[in-house]
Amino acid sequence: MANVAEPLVLPDLEKETRTKDELEPAYLVVCWNDPVNLMQYVTHVFQKVFGWEREKAEHHMMQVHEQGQSVLARVSLEKAEFYVHQLQKYTLHATLERDA
Amino acid sequence: MKRVSADDQAVLFQLRAPEHDALLDLLQTYPVVPPAHQTVSKNLKNTHPTDYQHLLDEALAEQRAANQKHLHAWLATPGRFQRHKAGFRFTLQRTDSEWLLQVLNDIRVGHWLRLGSPEPGELKPQTLDREKLPAWLMMEMSGFFQMSLLEALE
Repeated sequence: MANVAEPLVLPDLEKETRTKDELEPAYLVVCWNDPVNLMQYVTHVFQKVFGWEREKAEHHMMQVHEQGQSVLARVSLEKAEFYVHQLQKYTLHATLERDA
Repeated sequence: MKRVSADDQAVLFQLRAPEHDALLDLLQTYPVVPPAHQTVSKNLKNTHPTDYQHLLDEALAEQRAANQKHLHAWLATPGRFQRHKAGFRFTLQRTDSEWLLQVLNDIRVGHWLRLGSPEPGELKPQTLDREKLPAWLMMEMSGFFQMSLLEALE
């Protein structure tokens, strides 16, 4: 039998290369400003919930304070629900929003 | 409220007698934030009507109930506050610090809500009427204890 090369069946790259992020819509964990939560407290909560260093936590706290909101994480729906629940346990004004 | 000593496990605090009384009065009011106060999302409301909100409300209600139970047990522990000179001393386990911060902030936010969620400039104690003054005091006192706690834990 002649050595004929088998036709290559290429994978559907478009489908195969879709990332997990594309398959699983991303959600944003957003913290909103309010005039009651103390700045030092907010920094502390960010450190506890996300395990951040103080500097990063303060950066996001200042964003909340000066810009009215800060996106704290872009994650799966399940993780976003988890983080929002953790932040709300501390009575911070946090929500999850679908990434545009 | 001052930190007397601290190690990896616990922090020892000294309270003046009025601070001790104020802390007890404050903690008795927990929880103050009304149930279902929190919103899970601003822009998902239309596409995911009530599921997430319902789950979140349930989870937070469970958390509040657990905090309340813990608070009662903590306050009822014999020797929780021990007389020392003109005031009191108490030991806070570091594992209890997050729980106590959550309780104090619920009290602070809850009283702020009772005041009508005012902006900072709107809150002037000299202009508050008699009915609102206790809520303002509770809000300020819980902030004082929160800050004392945060500074002591650092």
